[in-house]
Amino acid sequence: MKIVGYSLLAGLSVAFCYAAGATFLGGHAAHNTTQHVPWGLWVAFYIFFLGLSAGSYLLSSLIYVFGVKRLAPAGPVALLQALGCLVLGGFLIVADLGHPGRGYLVLTSFNPSSVMAWMGIGYIAYVAIVVAQLWLVLRPGMVARMQTSRLYRLLILGQTRVDAATTARDHRWLMILGIIGIPVAIMVNAGVGSIFAVAKARPGWFSGLFPIVFLISALASGGALLAGLTATFSRLPPARRTPLVTDLIRFSFGILCFDALLLSSELLVTLYGGIPSEAAAWRMVLGGPFWWVFWFFQLGLGFVVPGLLIALPRTRASNDALGLAGLFIVIGIMGTRLNLVIPAQIRPVFEALPDAYHHARNALGYAPSGVEWALALGTVAVGFWMFLIAKKTLPLEEIAA
Amino acid sequence: MVIDLVRCVGCRACTVACKAENHTPPGVAYNVVMEEEAGEFPWVSRRFLSRPCMQCANSSCSTVCPTGATYHRPDGIVAVDYDRCIGCRYCIAACPYGARSFDYGENYAADLTPHERQPSPEYGQHRLRQPGRSPIGNVRKCTFCLHRIVNGLNPACAETCIGHAIHFGNLNDPDGRCLVHGENLPELLARRSHMRLKEEIGNEPSVYYLS
Repeated sequence: MKIVGYSLLAGLSVAFCYAAGATFLGGHAAHNTTQHVPWGLWVAFYIFFLGLSAGSYLLSSLIYVFGVKRLAPAGPVALLQALGCLVLGGFLIVADLGHPGRGYLVLTSFNPSSVMAWMGIGYIAYVAIVVAQLWLVLRPGMVARMQTSRLYRLLILGQTRVDAATTARDHRWLMILGIIGIPVAIMVNAGVGSIFAVAKARPGWFSGLFPIVFLISALASGGALLAGLTATFSRLPPARRTPLVTDLIRFSFGILCFDALLLSSELLVTLYGGIPSEAAAWRMVLGGPFWWVFWFFQLGLGFVVPGLLIALPRTRASNDALGLAGLFIVIGIMGTRLNLVIPAQIRPVFEALPDAYHHARNALGYAPSGVEWALALGTVAVGFWMFLIAKKTLPLEEIAA
Repeated sequence: MVIDLVRCVGCRACTVACKAENHTPPGVAYNVVMEEEAGEFPWVSRRFLSRPCMQCANSSCSTVCPTGATYHRPDGIVAVDYDRCIGCRYCIAACPYGARSFDYGENYAADLTPHERQPSPEYGQHRLRQPGRSPIGNVRKCTFCLHRIVNGLNPACAETCIGHAIHFGNLNDPDGRCLVHGENLPELLARRSHMRLKEEIGNEPSVYYLS
């Protein structure tokens, strides 16, 4: 099983390198996005990663701001996950730019009327807060190991004292940063939802509910991934690990139910109204060429199966089954992200527009190219490598224990 | 701009003139003609609608652009600063008229045609399309042929229209005449029934259609 896993990771990593080279050297010619569907798979994965990050970050603030002790062992991994997913999402969205080297202009040539520009500022602030909190959490462990590691001596920035006073100081700062970080994380995630929601040209996006759905599904996915990682990689004794995983997965599934409620409301109201331009995106989700994403991944694997795993007596106390439920919820949310981004663009702003100028870039529909799949899935693999390396090198476990 | 839908015959000369003038690559067309068939045989009619950029007074594209690369000129034309455009394509997603195109860097032939080897006169900048350099990787749009206007010429689509359907001039001037065909444009709008596309969105487009 391990060999299969590592082989898969290695294969995806090779694909990642190829796709990254093709994109950064060759531009966007290898992409299947069009003039009608300008945002494709990478944007969907970007918001997926951002959601994972915000979800796990907000979970960590339950520990560091609200003092929920029973979740405490998951805190360092939650912050690590928040940072890692931010890095991965940031990489994908920069790669998606026509001129990646000019990404800094979002900050230096700031347009205050643009939601995306504000999101850029929020993103930087969010990264800084997560890095600072992760440093505070990991510092005692790094100090304990600094004699054996030059890296730790460098990373502790000369703060070698660990006693009751410094611990209290670190906790206070963790709380202060957490209090600042909560609205920032919400702003970044709901802000990304707002990027779509304010695009009045796309009736499938233009809804006040959209940013809220982003935020809620972010919470669900972040908690679910944390549950999956804790169930799979944590070295906590089973007596402590399984209750922690149970708490995390139940929390995530509860949030997921609320997410389902919001989406159902949006779906039913839109379809009942039947305004063609507004209903088109939902009809595409339910019965379009990628109908299976909703029915199999979003609803089946991402909602029904985890619900059963959490509810059935044979599986609800099983660490492995609950970890699997976490993985399934994450996959389901990936489907949600795809369905939030792409179907609303499939219907052109004018029905007659695709026939007005015949070219593949002006055609209807969108299916990601090999390069797009390779970089998106490769980024997931890079994320796993990052996690495995961080797990080996960072003192996550002694704090968790 | 005022477009007379009764005079449009759907020949697409405006699309061709625009592509030739602005040297746009495959997949990028600033002005296209949309067709609609109405009725059933034998009472069938076919309607055509030429769609340049609407140069909206409240444009969605400039509002959402994160770097301010899309901006309004004092004359009302919405322009793109290619050196500030990061290629995020948010403006394409936000434009209610589908009037923006991303330059994917594609060409009509592997060995560039002589026309493709010529720089585009857009914005008077005469940029040659080269991999990794603007306007490849940028979002591009109709500027009413800004480079022609500043030199006292008219947009290529209006000049070339065989039915004299595309009028161009200053609609804010009560005596504003079509710079191509000479009609008094405010008078034309007062006399003929007209509309603007998707007025309910509130973008205040600057292109009027006579019906």
